[in-house]
This record gives sequence, structure tokens and C-alpha cells, in this order.
Amino acid sequence: MAREQRISVTVNGKAYEKTVPVRLSLADFIREHLHLTGTHLGCEHGVCGACTIQMNGRSARSCLTLAVQADGADIVTIEGLRSADGTRHPMQQAFHEHFALQCGYCTPGMLITAIELLRNNPEPNEQEVREALSGNLCRCTGYQAIVDAVLAVARQQRPVEG
Amino acid sequence: MSDARFVNLRAVGTSVLPDEAIPLVEGEGRFLNDIRLPGMYHIAFLRSPHAHARLRAIDATKARELSGVVEVLTGKDLLGKVEPFRSMPNRFSGGESTQHWLAVDKVRFCGEAICAVVAEDRATAEDAVELIEVDYEPLPAVTDPRLGERDDAPLVHDTCPNNYLIKREYERGDVAGAFKAAHLTVKRQFRIGRKQALCLESRGCVAAYRESTFTLMLWMSHQLPYVVRHYVAEHLRLPENEVRVIAPHTGGGFGQKASIYPEEFVCAYLALRLRRPVKWVEDRLENMVASTHARDQFIDVELAVDRDGCITALSSDVWVDVGAYSTYLWSAGMEPLQTAGLMPGPYKVPALRYRTRGVATNKTPVGPYRAVGRPSASASLELLLDEVARRLEIDPAELRQRNLIPPEAMPYRNANNLVHDNVNYLPCLKLATAKADYARLRAEQRELLANGHLVNGKLRGIGISCYAELTGLGTTTAVGPGTLLQPGRDAVTLRLETSGVLTVAAALPSQGQRIITAMRQVAADELGIRLEDISCLTNDTATAPYGFGTFASRTAVFGSGAVIQAARELRHRILALGAFLLEVPAEDLTIVNSVVQTIDRSKTLPLREMTKKSYFSAKDIPPELNPGFEVTSFYDPKFGSFAGGAHIAVVDIDPQTGEVKIVRYVAAEDVGTVINPAVVEGQIIGGIAQGIGEALLEEILYDDAGQPRTVSLADYLVPSALEIPRIELYHANTPSGALGGFKGCGEGSIIGAVAAVACAVADALSRRGGDIHEFPATPERVLTGLGVLPAEA
Amino acid sequence: MKPASFDYYAARTLEEASRILADAGRDGRVLAGGQSLVPMLNFRIVNPAIVVDINRIDVLDRLEVGTDSLTVGALVRHADLLCNTHVREGWPLLAEATAQVAHPAIRNRGTVCGSVAHNDPAAEHPSVLVTLDGTVVICGPAGRRELKAEQFFTGMLSNALEPGEMVVELRYPRPPAGTGAAFVEFARRLGDFAIAGAAATLTMRDGRCERARLTIVGMGDGPFRARAAEDVLTGRRLGVNKDGREAFAEVAAHVVTAVEPTDDVHASSAYRRHLAGVMTVRALETALARAGGH
Repeated sequence: MAREQRISVTVNGKAYEKTVPVRLSLADFIREHLHLTGTHLGCEHGVCGACTIQMNGRSARSCLTLAVQADGADIVTIEGLRSADGTRHPMQQAFHEHFALQCGYCTPGMLITAIELLRNNPEPNEQEVREALSGNLCRCTGYQAIVDAVLAVARQQRPVEG
Repeated sequence: MSDARFVNLRAVGTSVLPDEAIPLVEGEGRFLNDIRLPGMYHIAFLRSPHAHARLRAIDATKARELSGVVEVLTGKDLLGKVEPFRSMPNRFSGGESTQHWLAVDKVRFCGEAICAVVAEDRATAEDAVELIEVDYEPLPAVTDPRLGERDDAPLVHDTCPNNYLIKREYERGDVAGAFKAAHLTVKRQFRIGRKQALCLESRGCVAAYRESTFTLMLWMSHQLPYVVRHYVAEHLRLPENEVRVIAPHTGGGFGQKASIYPEEFVCAYLALRLRRPVKWVEDRLENMVASTHARDQFIDVELAVDRDGCITALSSDVWVDVGAYSTYLWSAGMEPLQTAGLMPGPYKVPALRYRTRGVATNKTPVGPYRAVGRPSASASLELLLDEVARRLEIDPAELRQRNLIPPEAMPYRNANNLVHDNVNYLPCLKLATAKADYARLRAEQRELLANGHLVNGKLRGIGISCYAELTGLGTTTAVGPGTLLQPGRDAVTLRLETSGVLTVAAALPSQGQRIITAMRQVAADELGIRLEDISCLTNDTATAPYGFGTFASRTAVFGSGAVIQAARELRHRILALGAFLLEVPAEDLTIVNSVVQTIDRSKTLPLREMTKKSYFSAKDIPPELNPGFEVTSFYDPKFGSFAGGAHIAVVDIDPQTGEVKIVRYVAAEDVGTVINPAVVEGQIIGGIAQGIGEALLEEILYDDAGQPRTVSLADYLVPSALEIPRIELYHANTPSGALGGFKGCGEGSIIGAVAAVACAVADALSRRGGDIHEFPATPERVLTGLGVLPAEA
Repeated sequence: MKPASFDYYAARTLEEASRILADAGRDGRVLAGGQSLVPMLNFRIVNPAIVVDINRIDVLDRLEVGTDSLTVGALVRHADLLCNTHVREGWPLLAEATAQVAHPAIRNRGTVCGSVAHNDPAAEHPSVLVTLDGTVVICGPAGRRELKAEQFFTGMLSNALEPGEMVVELRYPRPPAGTGAAFVEFARRLGDFAIAGAAATLTMRDGRCERARLTIVGMGDGPFRARAAEDVLTGRRLGVNKDGREAFAEVAAHVVTAVEPTDDVHASSAYRRHLAGVMTVRALETALARAGGH
């Protein structure tokens, strides 16, 4: 029984040990305690998707996860998408080149969701891309550039025919 | 001065990749909630659970005693210390509304702020809010503007008889005569539901005391930093030059973040009082009630046409439910005056009459949101035009062609006193119909007659709309009709730094429009400086000269125009000093890729060497040739620049569920000289997406007691990637009369989209003799329009 | 939107969880996926004194495909069902419905048992459990017990759990050979809560319906089992021609009369009622066509 708990969590490859209030969300933990503010809060009830991160290899809403539930977990946020030498993830590069972001607030969740889509479905058609992204709301772009960026990455990553 | 233009790559017109987007795509943006200052407190507000009530007593004792709570502020604490918001002067005011930052004796809408709790963290502040005890005396609520204007209605403000916050009657041309002589008149009543901008990032403020040399420093998720600074200083009785306002990365604005709200001002007051930084972040539950709403119109409209279907007169009666207060800055006039006054759009309307009212109700105040009154107005007129087309058996596109103001008639003064010039309404319509293969779409639709109008079991509908959007308003045109606020002049500063790089500064913060990139592109072309040598400051009153801010589709016109103006002077200075240093006449010089050079490149001087000499070896230069490389120029385009377009939407409706799917969408736009095509495309498609949301999905609902029924994102539905089709976008651009030929493009497309989709739905229903007059066209309303469900009482 | 304070305990065993929940009475809440509970905490709609996290109780993370039935433990996520080919093949109704639950990130964390226990009238899983004649296995201070699905759902957002009890697993009998199934729902956007939906199974032999199950989603009280409609179909000759169509129209008429939907911000009761009929026909037509494939 506790109102605070010590947790061990790996975020973007780095291990942390922190004491957190049990009512603290994973989103607030990442943002306020680890100072990784790339993950955004748009609704705090799981609908907008801006807070989406990767937890133990699967996308999850960090606003709907208590920080204490992440004890022992492996988390990846937008800040962890870069490779060790600082190169952007291909999805980040594609978003940039296709103007797939305007205000940038939905972008962290969009990237995580898009990356997961291509991992599960490397050759999606446009409808499948839109369906996979339908849980990430964007108010600026009208989605077209985002869809184009995801399809472009899928094409790039297609194995070259011999 | 050399006539030879630049031989380096022309930046304007190219989809230059925006460096400003890189921090955002890498997760290193600095949005309001990312800002953390030492010793910062957090604020939560107690908000009214009643739509209308007297505040008898507030007991915050338990709240104050909660561990971690610093302070609880009430409206009474502020009396006499700060100026409340009195509605902005407007020529068409009904009465004056006064809004206290924290309610004092009355609350007038659900969600109105009553107390501010300051605590060490947000969760504790929210805990404390729950401990505040308030004694309310509920009062009857006004929730319908048509009832609210009656003599027997309760008053929201004692100073506003019949709850009119704004009203205006207007007539130009012989309207009665036109209706009498008309070949056909059509009349309809439309109801457009309440909306809100739904920025992904809601509002927020960090206020700090004595941060650097400023008494008060404000970070605010806001579109108009200088305007905020002015009013904060005024209301807090501080000298304006002791206040600094910064707009950090902002997650959407769309006009919702262009009003002045009480909460941020309370933050400022508390920072000064507590001498500590304070932060308030509006959560989504608050945002649904505390940030301005939009639309919410009842539109009675009548059209008179001749036997060719040409409009001879337009008459409307408009009621707008403007909510509990006249929003500060813009007044309650925005929606009512624009809905009625801008209804003619791009069509020739020889005679116009309207009576419009903004009626106060006990709901969230209504403020500006992308295109304000025009989407609802345009949808109403376009639906009427389609009815004319049906009755006179004229094709809807042909009918619009007959009514659009053609290029050869321009400049054309419409009955609403706006002068249309330099805009391609008709070419856009022709382009849209050609690209959509409109004739074939209609032919296919006719062929479906045999099949009960069904294609794959769905009812097919086609909608067309044409819009006019007045952008980049100069001093001769009011942004907020009737307001005494005249934002027609903005400044840009250009400064060559000691190392020869260029800084552009303009108070035009971006919420994703890539204003920084656009101004860099214009500056690069105007000065011959490499794009990578140019940076741009836009979001800070301490580093940018005066600018009204990002609003009303003005930044392309103002930012670019001012850059061009300032660049002319700066270029003159560069070439004059270059002539001296290179010992050639200035007329023989140009600037290419950041190098001053003779046209034949026989003599060259990199800018960085020139500036080094100018800054660090000034004694070697005659003073008259070294006035400094900083130029500030104010630009007033005087008039507005019309943008325009034509949209075609094709929908399939499921006659069993009422679901509307958009199967094709074609848009042809005139947005003037384009700076960055990809950015423009993003703005247009984004606007279309919001328009589709307005037409089909989004609605804020209240019950009869003034209680909001749409309280979260599970209730207020914005389009996802599945609701927006691939948009086919084309251009028929023509330059504006503004400097550089630029036009704004931020708001036009939402006008086109709401109207095109509304018309497409109505067109589909009309195949079965059905009709729709209330929007959004929810599946339920569609089925009611088809007669599948009974109409509500 | 930060939750009010609560105590938190991450139980390691079922006994621990039961004991703490029993002590807490009505003031305790189970936290599994959290996709329903945490929003309510954030809205402060619920303010439990203690939240018992069951995510460490390994025995609950059990998805077992048996010859006769499928067992879904309390920690099985919606996503786990979707990526299991045995589930897709053996219980296609369950797979089809699960694919329409919210969005990927929600499905990755949310649990099937959690959705059943929460019993939102617009949710998919309660109705699927009823349609498949499922069983709810419950653990509490008094021990273990089982309830048939229909006994478990007691009204909107309500279930038959006593204080201290929790759902530990669900059991879905394997549908008999010759069964076609369909889950259809109508929502404003993909992934939104259904305004109305229908879960249907038709077990066919020689063109005759041996067994029909039909449950309507979104009618306000929880899953609505359309027994009268099932009776109309049982024993009837059905085909993807006139016979099938008439029978389905009759069934839809029964459903439309029998349901008692509510009004809310998304739909009026009249519209819901109408949609219930439309969804019924669509579900039955699809189920029948799929039964043909067996």
C-alpha cells in the first residue's frame, strides 16, 4: 500500500531509478521527471494519440498508463528514435521531407504509430495507412502529407528485387 | 542600382525544406508545457458548474489548508486591483458586457473561472479546487438566441437589453424591388451548429517576475504577442516596456489563441503578487468550456434571381449565439457581422440586405475560428444556389459560372461594399470542373436514375462551392467589422550581423505555417543572400519589432511585403558600401549567394568581409556610407488581397445508416504568388480537413439548462485520417495588388470545404426528394432528411 | 486532469489481489490494461481509495486454445487475440469484433476481461461473449465461481461481481461446424464506441438454420440478446436469396421493437433503434454467407 513507489525503467536505452507518486501518469513521468518533453499531452483520456510511446515494443498511450506500471519496462519515445550517431529515423526524415508536420504537436504519437505499422505491415496500401493512423488526431495537416511520408518509407524499405 | 536580378536559385516558389521543423520532428520543440522555471508554481481553476447563477459566498478555507497549496485567489481579491474586460468598442454594439477575470457576483456560463488555486504541482492544485465550497443561487439560463432576444427572456447582462451584444441592419441597392421583379425567389432556414478550433495543444501560460530585465515575462500559447503585451500592461497598470511576451512553439491556433482570456491575465497578476513564476496549462476538459467556441448560427436567407439564374438580390436574417461575454479583443461582432456581411462571397450581388444579431446566452463565449462567419454563410448561399439550379433546371456549375465575378469585371464593388480585384474566381471554377471531369460526374449521376440513384447501394451526391477570402487586410479594411482595432500595419527588421549573416525579425509567430521559412525565402530573393545565411525571429516582443501577429491570413502579405520594403533600403546600403570598398559604381554591382560582386564577377566582396569592416573598422569608412545594416520598415498594404477558389466534393451516402463518405475531392485555388508550394498545399488541405469536420462531424451541444453535453474528445469528433479523402489540388494563381503579389491562404479552403460538402449531401438527398438544412450533416440528420427517421418535434 | 490521490498495490498473486480488494469493498478498483479505468481516474469520475494492479500476476496472462474452448485470462490484451491465428480461425466473431476496438495503442494495453467487466453498452466484447455462450470465471474471497455471460451483465456499466471479486478468465466454447459469424457495428469514426452493432452466429445444416445467436450492441443497458429473433431463425430455411432476406427482415422487425435504446449526445433512441435493425440484417446476411463456406 503506497502513495509513492520506486520504479526502475529504461527509457531510450537509458536506465532510471526514480521515486514517483503512484497517481503520476507515465506521460508526466517522462516529461517532468526525465525532462523528455517530446511526448505531448493533448487530451489525457487516450483519444488524441499525441502521447503515444512504445512500451515493451508496442505502442501505448502514456496518458493512460501509470508511471508505476512502467516499473521494469522498456520505453521508447520520440527522442529515442534517432540512431546512436544522431541520424534521424527514416520516418522522421520522411516526415520532414514530405512536410508531414505543421505545428508538430501530434508528431511524436504519429511517428511511433507509423513505425509500428510498418513493422507489422511493411507494404500497406493507403487505406491501411489511414486506418492505422486513425487513432492519432492531427488538426493542421489534413493527413495527406503524413500518409505520403509513411508510404514513402514503406517504399524505401522494400527489399530490392534481385 | 543594378537591374540585374539574382542568378542564384530563386527561393520564392520553391518548396524549401523548413529548418524550423527539425526540432519538432526530433522531439525537441519547446511548447508552453515544456517550460520549467525554478520555483515555479502551478495553477488550477475552479470553474462554474452552473450556466447562470449568483455567487453568494466562497469558502476556500479547506483548500488553503491543503498541504502544498500556496494561495487561492477569488474575484473579490482582484476588484480594484485590475481592470476587468469590458467589451471592445464596436460601432454596432448592442450593450456592453463586463467580464471579471474571476467571477465576482455572478457566473454566466458553465466553465467560467471562479477561483485560481496556486500550488506546488498541478495535481495538488486540482485537489484543492475540489475543497472550495461555493454557495450558488442558480438563475434561469438563456440557451437559444431566438428566445434570448425576446422581451421576456432572462438577461445575461443587465446592460444588454434583449441580450443583444451586437446588432446591425444593412441595406444597399433596391432589395424589395429586386424581390418583387424576380423570376424566382428561394428561401431557406439553416442551422449551423457550434464548433471549436480544437487545437491539439490547448492554451497555457507561464508568467514570471523579474526574469532578465523584465518586470513581467509571459510565455503564452498565443498568436498575437504584441497585442497581449499591450493589454496585459494596460490591465495590470504596468509600463508596457517592462513586459515581455513570448509565444513558444504553439500547437495550433486557428484564431482560438488570438483572443484575450482571463486565465492568462490571472497568471500574470499572480506572478507579480507572489514574485514567483507560475504556470497554467489548460487541460482538455477545461478547453472544451473555457476557450472560445465558434459558428452557432441560425440563418434565414432568401435569394432573388432572374430567368438566367443570376442573383438580383440577397437578403438574410442571422442570429448568432455568441455566448456569455463579448470576447475580448474581437467583440461579439465577429460571427454575426461576417456571416451576414460576407455572404455574397465571390458572386455578383447587386442588392444586399441583412439584419444580424449576436445574442448573449449562458454558454462559452464565441470568438474567431478559421474563416469566422464565412463557412456558414457560404454554405447557406451555395445551398440556395443549388436549389435555384434545381428549380430552373440549370446545371449547378453553369449557374455559378453565370454569377461569379469574372476577371474582366474587376475591380468590382459588391453590394457589401467590398472591392474584388486581382482574383481568379472564374478560372478556378473552370479548372476545378475540368480536372474533376465534372460533366462526366453529372452524367454518371444521371445514369444512376434507373438504379434508384444508387451506386453500390449508396446515394451519390456532387457539391460545388466557390469562395472569396479577403486576406492581408491593410488599414482601410477592418479585420473585426466595426471594431476600432486597426491591425493594418506591421514591421519587419532586417539586420546584417557582424559575420554577414542576415536576421529577419517580425512579430508573426507560427503555429505550423512556416512563417520563418517563408520570410527567409523572400529575403533570400530580395537580397541575394543564401538561404542558409538567413535566420528569422518571430515570437518574442523583445526581439521582433511591432507586428499585430498571426491572424486573418495576413502573414504572407505583411511579412513578405515588409521584408521587400526593408530589403530595398538594406540592399541600397549594401551596394553603396560595396561600391566604396570595391571602387566601382553601385549600378555595376549585385549580390549573389551572399557575395557583393560586379555583374561580370570581376570584383567580389563576400558580405561577411563587408560587415566585418563596417562593424569593426568603421574609421576607414565615410560615416554617410555606414549608417548601419539594420533597417526596420512598416508595411501597410492599404487594401486586402482577395484569394479565391472552387471546390468539388463527391459523396456516397448509405441510405440505411446515413453515413456520408467523401469519395472524391477536387480543389482549384488562387492564392497569389506562392512562396513555398508544399507549405501552401499543407495549409489548403488542413483547411479542407477542418471544413469536412464542420460539415459532417463536429458539434458542441448544450442542454436546455446550459449544461454542455460534449465534454471530451469522445464527444466532440474531429476528423481522423479515415474521414479525409486524398485531395486533388490545382492552382489558378494570379498576383494580388500587394507588394510581391502575395495572398493569404490560411482560411479560404475551409470556406470552400464546408459549402462543397454540405451541397454534396443536399444534392444526394435531393435525388430522393429529400433535404437537409441543419449541419453538421450527421447520419441521423441525413436519415431525417431522407424521411427514414421522423423529424424531431 | 490529474487523478485524485489513491493507494496503489501491485499484487503478485491472485490471493493477494482478492484479499486487498475484499478489504477495500466498493472503494477498490482493479487495474489491468487501464484503458477504461485511467480515463475515469483522470476525469475524477471515479475516486477509489485503492487501485490494485494485477499486471504482475503471471497466472492471469493465459491464452489457451483448446479443442472445445478458448480460455482468455485477465491479462490477455485485445492485440494478443488479433495476432493469434487459432483465435482468428476458431472464433472468427471474436477476432472480427476485437479488430474494431478503438485503435492499436489502446488494443496493445487494454484487456478483453477488462472490457467485459467494464460493460460499456457500446463496447464489443460483452456482446460477443453473450453471442458465443461464453462463461465468466470469477475469483474472490469466497473462492472461485462461474457465471454465464448473460448472468454476468446486470445493466449499463454494471456486473454481478461482489465486492472483492474480479474476473480472472473468460471461456468461449468453440463454435460448431457449419457456423458462420459476423460482427458489424456503426460508429461515427472507426474505433469510436458503437452507436449500434450486432453480433450474429448462424449454424447451418443443409440450408436450414440449426442454431442462431444474435446480440445487439449499444442499446443502453448492456448486451441485448435478441431471443425472439433467434427463435424466428431457428429451424428456418435460409439461403442467400429470397428466403434469407425475408427471414432477416422479420428478425430485424423483432429487434427494432424489442430494444430499448437511450438518447445520448451521439444518437437519439429513434436512430439507435433504426440502426439496430440495419445492423441485424447486415450481420445476419454476412454470417449466412460465411456459413456457406463451411
